[in-house]
Amino acid sequence: MPAPNRRKNRVWTVVTVLFFLGPAMFGFGTKFYELVQVFRGDASGAFAVTPIVNYLLAGCGFLLLFGWAAKNGMFRDIEQPKFLMLENENRLDAVERSAAPHA
Amino acid sequence: MNAPEMESSSAIGPESAADLERLVERKLVLWYYFAALTYLIVSMLGGLLMALQLIQCNELQGIELLSPGRWRMLHTNAIAYGFLANAFLGTLHWAIPRLTMRPVLSKPLSYLIFAAWQIVVVSTAVGILLGQAQAVEWGETPVWIDPVALLGLLLVAVNFMAPIAGAKGPMYVSLWYFMAAFVWTFLTYAMGNFIPQYVVCGTNAGAIAGLFIHDLVGLFVTPLGWGLMYYFVPILLKKPIWSHGLSLVGFWGLAFFYPLQGIHHFLYTPIPMFLQYGAVISTIAVEFVVATVIVNFFGTLYGSGRAVVTNLPIRWFYTGMILYFVTCFQCALQVTLTFQQLIHFTDWVVGHAHLVMFGVFSQWLLGIMTYLIPRLTGKEWYSRTLCEWHYWLSATSIVVMFLDLTMAGLFQGWSWSSMQYWDHSTQVSQPFWIVRVFAGLAMFSGQIVFIYNIYRTLSGPRTAPATGLQPATA
Ligand code: HEM
Repeated sequence: MPAPNRRKNRVWTVVTVLFFLGPAMFGFGTKFYELVQVFRGDASGAFAVTPIVNYLLAGCGFLLLFGWAAKNGMFRDIEQPKFLMLENENRLDAVERSAAPHA
Repeated sequence: MNAPEMESSSAIGPESAADLERLVERKLVLWYYFAALTYLIVSMLGGLLMALQLIQCNELQGIELLSPGRWRMLHTNAIAYGFLANAFLGTLHWAIPRLTMRPVLSKPLSYLIFAAWQIVVVSTAVGILLGQAQAVEWGETPVWIDPVALLGLLLVAVNFMAPIAGAKGPMYVSLWYFMAAFVWTFLTYAMGNFIPQYVVCGTNAGAIAGLFIHDLVGLFVTPLGWGLMYYFVPILLKKPIWSHGLSLVGFWGLAFFYPLQGIHHFLYTPIPMFLQYGAVISTIAVEFVVATVIVNFFGTLYGSGRAVVTNLPIRWFYTGMILYFVTCFQCALQVTLTFQQLIHFTDWVVGHAHLVMFGVFSQWLLGIMTYLIPRLTGKEWYSRTLCEWHYWLSATSIVVMFLDLTMAGLFQGWSWSSMQYWDHSTQVSQPFWIVRVFAGLAMFSGQIVFIYNIYRTLSGPRTAPATGLQPATA
């Protein structure tokens, strides 16, 4: 891809990410603040913490996995695996066909 | 690593029939299917008994061991852990080695897991009938079985993760789904069965139990189901999935949005409103994710639409997908507070549960069995007509049951909201409950037809190479 195009793409990616993540982070931040308030003000509100902590743990795990996958090129040639999978399947079928007793 | 440098997983693979035998343990897949179908029948008998009880036709009244409350739990547990889990495990023994070109970690371990899982399921059934159910919905497995079941799930993860971890290069979307399902199921099972039992109590435990029911469907059944569809649909249509990129959007969307949704089962409860709204918003986010998945599968079908008529497994799959869309459309309504006022605790929810569990996931698994059984046994189906009967009885009965229970739910909701006495709502429900018995009988007959067809197929001679390339069901 020519360099100016690549730069344009990068700018668009950053703008799009900010567009979605900005409000989402704001929403999340305020809700998290409310959670802390509930937790502080009312002991019985503590039960709200369990599902949230559960979610945060799972979410963090997936964020790490996502980062790892991106860094290891899992999304680089993003359509390639669908062709490979069919190729593999065809090869297995060919072996099976050649081995079948009545083939 | 750059894309061209990546070693593809097709770089290795079986060259001979013996290699192929080593790759997939066909006998075990069949054993899993037999176990699954046995529990399906047991579960359906439980459902029928419960349905008869609700129309006051219970001939077993007074026998404590066979009381309806216990049969109801047997019905749901035998479906989840007996039918769905066994059918999924069997199919994974076929799909994962073929997708990764590597066998599972250990075949003896696979057989051990098979035996251990049957012990878990049978002990659960016996425990429930003896009145030892744990007070967690869908986690009624008696407390003494929980650690064994959890160990079983851990072994399953280890056994299947080995070939997935060994595969090189960018992973196909099915493998993402499977990998996540192994981790999620283990964590979900541990959370639902141990935390409310030993760690927290009261509303706290209720919230966790709700999350558990929800996650069991969304993080165990859903990723395995979709992962298998991403594998079987392209190989049966003989063309790749429309967009692999879009399929990954579906996967990561599920990963990030699904776990927060559990609280949508608890709208109008003492759980703080901002958490309830959070669950509503993430449910809406998942609706978008679902739309991408559906678009992707119909995009794949585009140009091969006739396959839905001529290829029976494809027909099972796409029927399930349409019903999945209906289920999610229902969710979009159910997640609003206005709608909850009417349908909460009514048969609407029971209709929804049957639609997703039977209409979607069981139909996918039955379609997979329809495709794989000839390949596993080397024998074509004894009767294609019986295969068709199996499909039509199953598909029509679930649609009838779903519409019937949905209507029942609305009538019950209206009865309650108009402050009628309780018996009014049960009287109003009678016609619907009677229809449910007949729909159940039709669904049950469909499965009996399938089992008879399998029996005749197995007792027949080996046929021409049933490699699935030209399946009788195609
Ligand atoms: C012979 C066919 C069937 C009949 C007659 C039947 C009947 C019933 C009945 C009467 C209930 C209890 C409803 C209540 O408590 O009000 C129930 C619950 C349930 N059944 Fe079935 N069932 C059948 C097949 C199935 C199948 C094949 C599946 C799954 C693959 C399934 C999944 C469920 C689930 C998940 C519930 C719990 C619903 C909830 O708690 O909301 N059933 N069924």
